[in-house]
Amino acid sequence: MGRFVIRRLLQSGVVLLGVTLVVFLLLQLVPGDPVRVALGTRFDPQTYEALRARAGLDRPLVVQYLSYLGNALTGDLGVSFRSGRPVTSIVLERLPATLSLAATAVAFAVLVAFPLGVLSAMRSGSLLDHAARVFSQFGVSVPDFWMGIMGILLFAGVLGWLPPSGYVPITEDPARWASHVVLPAVTVGLVTASILTRFIRSSVLEVLSEDYVRTAEAKGLRARVVIMRHVLRNALIPVVTVVAVQLASLLGGVIVIEVLFAWPGVGRLTYDAVQARDYPVLQGAVLLVAALFLLTNLLVDVLYARLDPRISVR
Amino acid sequence: MSGSEEKTSRRALSALRHDPLAVTGSLVLLLLVVVGVGGAWLAPSGVNEVDVDRMLQPPSWSHPFGTDELGRDVLSRVLVATRVSLQVGVVSVGIALVAGVTLGLLAGYYRGWLDNLLMRCMDVLFAFPVLLLAVAIVAVLGPGLLTAMIAIGVVYTPIFARVTRSGVLSVREQVFVRAAVSIGASDLRIMRRHVLPNVAAPLIVQTSLSLAFAILSEAALSFLGLGVQPPAPAWGRMLYDGRGFVTEAWWLGVFPGTAIFLTVLAFNLVGDALRDVLDPRQLTIGEARRNAG
Amino acid sequence: MSSTRFRLAGAALTLTLGVLTGCTAGESVDVDGAGKSGASTGGVLNAAIGGEPDQLDPHKTSAYHSFQVLENVYDTLVEPDANLEMKPSLATRWTTSEDQLTWTFTLREGVRFSDGSPLDAEDVVYSYERIIKQKLNASYKFTTVKSVTAPNPATVVVALTAPTPNLLANLGGFKGVAIVEKTNVESGAVKTRPVGSGPFMVADYASGDNIKLVRNDKYWADAPKLDAVIFTFVKDPTVALQNLRGGEVQWTDNLPPQQVPALRDADDVTVRSAPSSDYWYLALNQAREPYDDVNVRRAVAFALDRAAITKAAKFGLATVNQTAIPKNSAFHYDYAPYRRDPGQARQLLDQAGVTGLTMDLMVTSEYPETVTAAQVIAAQLKDVGITVKIRTLDFAQWLDEQGKGNFDSFMLGWLGNIDPDEFYYAQHHSGGTFNFHKYRNPAVDRLLDQARTETDQAARKQQYEQVAKQIVDDASYLYLYNPDVVQGWSKQVSGYEVRTDRAIRFRDVALAK
Repeated sequence: MGRFVIRRLLQSGVVLLGVTLVVFLLLQLVPGDPVRVALGTRFDPQTYEALRARAGLDRPLVVQYLSYLGNALTGDLGVSFRSGRPVTSIVLERLPATLSLAATAVAFAVLVAFPLGVLSAMRSGSLLDHAARVFSQFGVSVPDFWMGIMGILLFAGVLGWLPPSGYVPITEDPARWASHVVLPAVTVGLVTASILTRFIRSSVLEVLSEDYVRTAEAKGLRARVVIMRHVLRNALIPVVTVVAVQLASLLGGVIVIEVLFAWPGVGRLTYDAVQARDYPVLQGAVLLVAALFLLTNLLVDVLYARLDPRISVR
Repeated sequence: MSGSEEKTSRRALSALRHDPLAVTGSLVLLLLVVVGVGGAWLAPSGVNEVDVDRMLQPPSWSHPFGTDELGRDVLSRVLVATRVSLQVGVVSVGIALVAGVTLGLLAGYYRGWLDNLLMRCMDVLFAFPVLLLAVAIVAVLGPGLLTAMIAIGVVYTPIFARVTRSGVLSVREQVFVRAAVSIGASDLRIMRRHVLPNVAAPLIVQTSLSLAFAILSEAALSFLGLGVQPPAPAWGRMLYDGRGFVTEAWWLGVFPGTAIFLTVLAFNLVGDALRDVLDPRQLTIGEARRNAG
Repeated sequence: MSSTRFRLAGAALTLTLGVLTGCTAGESVDVDGAGKSGASTGGVLNAAIGGEPDQLDPHKTSAYHSFQVLENVYDTLVEPDANLEMKPSLATRWTTSEDQLTWTFTLREGVRFSDGSPLDAEDVVYSYERIIKQKLNASYKFTTVKSVTAPNPATVVVALTAPTPNLLANLGGFKGVAIVEKTNVESGAVKTRPVGSGPFMVADYASGDNIKLVRNDKYWADAPKLDAVIFTFVKDPTVALQNLRGGEVQWTDNLPPQQVPALRDADDVTVRSAPSSDYWYLALNQAREPYDDVNVRRAVAFALDRAAITKAAKFGLATVNQTAIPKNSAFHYDYAPYRRDPGQARQLLDQAGVTGLTMDLMVTSEYPETVTAAQVIAAQLKDVGITVKIRTLDFAQWLDEQGKGNFDSFMLGWLGNIDPDEFYYAQHHSGGTFNFHKYRNPAVDRLLDQARTETDQAARKQQYEQVAKQIVDDASYLYLYNPDVVQGWSKQVSGYEVRTDRAIRFRDVALAK
């Protein structure tokens, strides 16, 4: 167990190092002079020189990378080409919005997927099972931004029940936050829910077919008891990890949905940075998201190993 | 062609024939290919036939899908855009397939430090949410059809590398491979004759599912204005351009969106059916679907 | 590099009002809690703007969204009134020497920055020297300025190298020449917490979402009635409209253009428009064949249907124009020799010996109307046998290509110009800094140089009319349209007016409860 954790930790460290390299190299791929390109209409010699010096673009590549890495380790991700503010604080400001959307979406997804998945597995072949499969096939095939547009059209436009977009911090006004989060969270959550439904269904089906469940049933235990006592506990271990992985990827910000719903999270920050060619912010956002993603996966693996002793190494 | 490869394709075909959903999906795909090839010919009018006197007209006999904000025929644009979507799907998955299989074969066959190096690189790429990485790549290279295809190709490469590698690992120690090694067959020959055919099944499944997600990713990129550039029609781009008019002109949102949905659905249905038969234990890339958001 | 070329993000834009009503000075307001103090009449106005400012340093930003905010935070020596005539602001009066080379401004007494420090002549000198020495965006407005000095705290002397009849417009046309505070600039805080002397001051900046201004109680003129103004960034015009109707915002300039005609008659919101002094145009690269031939350029001019282009690009919220300066300006020159005539266009192309021409047209996603218009232009030119290849670039790349001359043609607009010199010199003088299409006509050069320093207003007007006619006849720019400034606000809002220069002023706005 301990060795496994240490090994995963080291592995994640190596991957994270690679991630910083990729993120660093992004800037090198920009055709031409990235600072010149980024400044565009706002070009003035003084700002240009200052930004170039700050980004250290005149130094050899290796030196640039090492200093980028060193700064990143101390939490310094450079300054925005656009506003001149520290990238770290710009990115961190956007986290709460993304976190609240991700958490709501996953909560919604679990509430939908859990009963749907378990029931459709228990009544495999029933009408409900078919409905669940149609639902999940729909969810993985529909473009989420299109569903978002249709949602805005229906619930904000025709019916006028919900605001079409925008954001209110939950700390400021929980009720208005909630009314704003519904559409984006349901849009994102439906996709997550369909993935989870599939997974839960097959996971429960697998456990149901195992010997000890059959034995329990043969012993005459009532179905409900069997389900509660044996099936769910065993089926849910892998499900927990899938939920966590889904959450991890949502933490990265759902770019298209955040753009569509004007949700000021990390995803929209990335998009705005792309539009403004604000490369340091783009790099910072991508790096943070990847690091969060890695960290969550690491936690999931460790958790998984604890929950299920059969799995020690993946 | 080796025996097992033949068997794989036969099993795949029969799988498709016996599953009504898969048959439906295949028929839709066939239709899409026909439209993709002959879209310009099928379209009732030119995709760039601008007419400001017939802007934003609702569906009618002369324009079954209505007209857009420049008075262009939406049906014609939806039809012609089919080719773009299929092209992006095929080319980008092609890139991912070739690159991923090559890397996966090398890693799985030679093991050792090469395996370690390649797979850590794949881990690195895997650490980014798919769309985020694609957006970053396109942002840096500049928006357009080609860069979108490259970006999507790059982000789907690790999946293919992993699938290939694990397939290789499982056949590597089998008797027929060892036998081939012992009679002195070259590495290349062994990989081509013995290893590759045995990883074909999961790869076929993965390819089919990846096509669905690649098309979804392209639509998302275009919806962000980072894919195909105007005046060329693309479904995601049509949604992007029509977004401001959707409240008055629902047809600008409904038809291109439905086209994306049906295409992705068709690839998914076929992919799922293939998986059920060829490789039941392979997970969907449902996790990767997160991706497309 | 762009001057008055603001970077506007989206569809429709707006403006505000210029009427100053006398009102009593409001009570002091709790800076942290505008609206919570309950002390004043005010209320909080929520304004939806189409994008986020890049930064709030008035000398360094060129984004229109920044100026929307900064208009309410900063002052200039003089400022344009509703008719764009220059009126006193920080300077109460000014005199000009006999030789027109020395201007002496007297500053208003008792003006303070919002942090309480006094604003005097040294601050004016600091601000102008900063722009000039660091070659900031507005530095081109100071090309004839030799020196700026402060003989005493209440006097600023501007010495010139040549008579500059439009000096007032240069020193007050927009907030890019605002008077800034030295310590605020040097600390770097100006980027997010600028300190000005205007009616409001920045209280909070939530990146990606909004900027909150609160009333500046040290403002030198009548105190604003509003307690606070919150600028929220709403990119999607449909959403901005829904927010306006839903009461979440009380003002927006980001309305869906296709809905504006219906909105003018709506009961729940007020929508007003005014013709702007912006213009959008097509330029053909005269350094390249065959566009060096005036017949080819005129052929393109005759192939265009400006009304159709305007309808597609602006949904009719613009006035078709074949010259640069709009009808409401004193310098407007009524001249419109072109109309859509494919026959004539073909004939001109024949004369030039051009057949099967393929023309590259460079547009930018930064200004979606160029992308839209390009598709209409392409369809129209196809009718006269010209194949247009549209190239859509992001703005940085676009500017790069423009600078290098890598284009057959491009479409763009000039925004916020006031004086005719701003409309013509940089664009059409053979040595002009924005003459990327390489127009060269010695007669035009001579007239432009002459008019620049002409102090007789009638003579100057006549010179600019000659310039305008020649530019149109030579098809240096193919002018397309002057867009309208369109803004909407709720019925609660009073005292707001749409301005033709797109400046948004909330200082006299009141909000009914």
